[in-house]
Amino acid sequence: MDRSRAGSLLDGGEPPRTADVVIVGAGIGGLAFARELAARGVRDVVIVERGYPGSGATGRNVARIRAMQLTEDLTQVARACQSKYERMGEELGFNVLFYRLGYAWVLYDADEVERMRSIVEMHHRIGVASRLLSPDDTLRRLPILRGGEPVAGAVLNDDAIVHHDAVVWAHLEHLAGTGVRILPGTEVRAIVRGERGVEAVETDRGRIETRAVLNAAGGWSSELNAMAGVSAPNRPLRREVLVTAPLRRSIEAAVTFYRPNEGWFNQTLRGEIVMGVVDPDEAPGVGQRSSWDFLRRTATIMTRKAPALADVAVIRQWGGMYDISPDHHPLVGPTRQLDGWLQANGWSGRGMLLAPYLTELLAERFVTGATPERLAAFDPDRFAPGEATETSGDYYARYAGRTD
Amino acid sequence: MAASLLAADRPILSRSFRFHRPRGLMCSTGGCGWCECEVDGVPSVRSCRVPVREGLVARGEHAWPSVERDLLSLVGLASRWIPPTFYHHRFLRPRGLRKRYLDVLRWFGGRGRLGLGDRMPVRGRPARRVATDVLIVGAGRAGLMAALGAAESGARVVLIEADREVGGGWRVETGTDRGPGTAAELAARATAAGVDVLAGVTAVGWYEGMVAAIGDDVHLEIRARAVVAATGSYERVPLAPGADRPGVIAARTVTTLIERYGILPGRRALLVGAGQELATAAERLGRAGSTVVGPVPTASLVSIRGRRRVSGAITRHGRKRERHAVDLVVFADRSPNLDLVMAAGAAVEMRGGTLTPVSDVSGRTTVASLFVAGSAAGRPIVGVGEADVAREAGRAAAVHATGEVAEPEIADPRSPSATETGHRHQVPHVPRGAMVCFCEDVRAWEIGAERTAGYQDPELIKRRTGALTGPCQGKYCLQSFSCLVGAAAIPTARPPLRPVRLGDLVASDPEEGA
Repeated sequence: MDRSRAGSLLDGGEPPRTADVVIVGAGIGGLAFARELAARGVRDVVIVERGYPGSGATGRNVARIRAMQLTEDLTQVARACQSKYERMGEELGFNVLFYRLGYAWVLYDADEVERMRSIVEMHHRIGVASRLLSPDDTLRRLPILRGGEPVAGAVLNDDAIVHHDAVVWAHLEHLAGTGVRILPGTEVRAIVRGERGVEAVETDRGRIETRAVLNAAGGWSSELNAMAGVSAPNRPLRREVLVTAPLRRSIEAAVTFYRPNEGWFNQTLRGEIVMGVVDPDEAPGVGQRSSWDFLRRTATIMTRKAPALADVAVIRQWGGMYDISPDHHPLVGPTRQLDGWLQANGWSGRGMLLAPYLTELLAERFVTGATPERLAAFDPDRFAPGEATETSGDYYARYAGRTD
Repeated sequence: MAASLLAADRPILSRSFRFHRPRGLMCSTGGCGWCECEVDGVPSVRSCRVPVREGLVARGEHAWPSVERDLLSLVGLASRWIPPTFYHHRFLRPRGLRKRYLDVLRWFGGRGRLGLGDRMPVRGRPARRVATDVLIVGAGRAGLMAALGAAESGARVVLIEADREVGGGWRVETGTDRGPGTAAELAARATAAGVDVLAGVTAVGWYEGMVAAIGDDVHLEIRARAVVAATGSYERVPLAPGADRPGVIAARTVTTLIERYGILPGRRALLVGAGQELATAAERLGRAGSTVVGPVPTASLVSIRGRRRVSGAITRHGRKRERHAVDLVVFADRSPNLDLVMAAGAAVEMRGGTLTPVSDVSGRTTVASLFVAGSAAGRPIVGVGEADVAREAGRAAAVHATGEVAEPEIADPRSPSATETGHRHQVPHVPRGAMVCFCEDVRAWEIGAERTAGYQDPELIKRRTGALTGPCQGKYCLQSFSCLVGAAAIPTARPPLRPVRLGDLVASDPEEGA
């Protein structure tokens, strides 16, 4: 690691003519994959980034590192992901501000409580110590909800948040000592395919010959797949966030509610409150705009659930993209459609959580040729041709097909 | 409220976020946030906008035991060793204490208290859609003139003003001849010409051409064929170490304090800068019995001394340094309010050391439907000539809104062709020790250090230092930030245009917001 050189990684010198691996996207997926490759001796690696590192969803999410998930396979993986984050600071010599704030699914429907009972049982079966809270206990843990819409309970777990930007910088400092190069402000124009698979990446700053390309382009992964002639069912979906002026600590868990509306809020270590309420009618497509409707929708629903929030001052809002797959599980691995084409996308809103661990497995696969068991579930070719991604509807229904 | 506290000899109103530096009344327009207090249980209220009344309860925030004497300001003694990146390589060991470290950090963070007590249900507001030819934002001199110009050209005109009364910066400059009549006279003429004048309506954001605004009991969604930003200017705090101390006050604020509240903000004042506003403030100070020193050029100001409030200032003239024993520093430099211009994505450029919207003589910006007038255009109105220019901007907006006339395109200096032909502008020097971002206490050298380390992208510098990300969202630091990082590249502006309480955003019909 070389701190002084971390920024000079970004000096944008001439692109190399060849590379063993070209990674498209310097978000968490691309950066983490580069780290794992370097750890396995693959150092002739170039990351092509249209903006700056973390300029996409990585710099726009709120970095909740949650082990409890709705399905068993995802919870298993998420636990491994969370412990990877817990070790990340020491491994990279950089404090990513991993903090166990706690995490609560707040419930408003009786039938949702019933549904959660079986999910909590599943958590306990595999060693995640989530708890189903009574309405009273929910309000004790989260007094911010007092006076709001009556709660039916909550599922609470000792989950964490990290600082998303710190995660990016930790990777940059680490990569500065490895030989990996980053080309910010560089756009991919075309993917050159040959008989044996991928041959080159054509950028606006020159052509890079390579035999392996990772598509870690987040919300733009579909566009990149199309350039390579690879089909994948991912669809980008815009989401929005707002942040308030900093307040003293007053919310002791990251909150998410799925019903009757899908929304969330939590307080950062600095004291700002980040929040958002999803627009169920948002149409898929590339876009990061901010909207007025989002402000009104979020204010209306948040103050209904947590009336005290009426007093907080909104200072900024922004948009970013989820890259959604049909089963809301990511696509990580090589595709049989094109030799040398690797996917690490379709994170469906969980890229920050899942990417460091799953790209570790992907690097293992890349170097050894053997697929780690846990990676198999994320095979990019698992979808039937023409399978569509449904982006709206009941939150749980998206997971219904995966009851494993 | 802020004025009463000053009158009661309580100049310290708040403490800064990182180093707990004392802050006091500076802009008096609700822009800077240096006067934020908890008022009647509501956190971080800009006390300069709060009318004092019997029974009002105010508390200082983010200080212990009080904002007057804040022991946490001891952190400031170590501020040299606490850059915004200070945690990057710290607090990792011993592992068992990691969470404790972050608990301490959490304790230092945060400002206001969130009251969790019982409260009245929030009153939602209906959304009213407004369609018009021309929307003018800001009813200062420029906005009123532009409104007249647009109405004379036959356009339907809506004029919104965040304050309760029209006039903007005009109101405080009594007794000077500013051309075509008083604010009230002009407003009356505008109303007579058919302009819909809406005072107490604050523009919140530019959403792909739609301007969202909040009034007392309504949300306005204004779709205009042309928009004129007549949003005036912001104070430009001198770039000298110590310039964020209580007692460094904008000239307009000084005049308002004396004129409107009968409060004398200092006994010995140093005047910094030039212009009519400074002269007016000096005249009022002199008449009220203060000793006035200067004016001195802004660039000659080396530093401002004092612990809890200003006790002196050092200036330099050639090789000669001079120390002035003053308790008030009055400055008059201002820079265009770029909020709406940046929100719309129109280009700005460094002109005469100031970031200014790129616009042609009629105020047309690089966004076809957006015009700028008056101080917001970098053309403050100091006489009849400038007033006519603002009126012309209104006419041009009306022509754009109603006409079929082909209009010339304004070259965007950010486009590749423009960079080749563009010439470099003089960028003011920012001293190392100067406070650049007041919300986050970011000093010039900290931004320099990021650049030296190779982080050149302004978005990365913003994220790494926190500059531009505080409650003012860059209103008071964008100018010096751009001087430091290269003026052409400024981070993306994000809505809202100014802080808005979540409760003020609530929609009246629950389904409407859902």
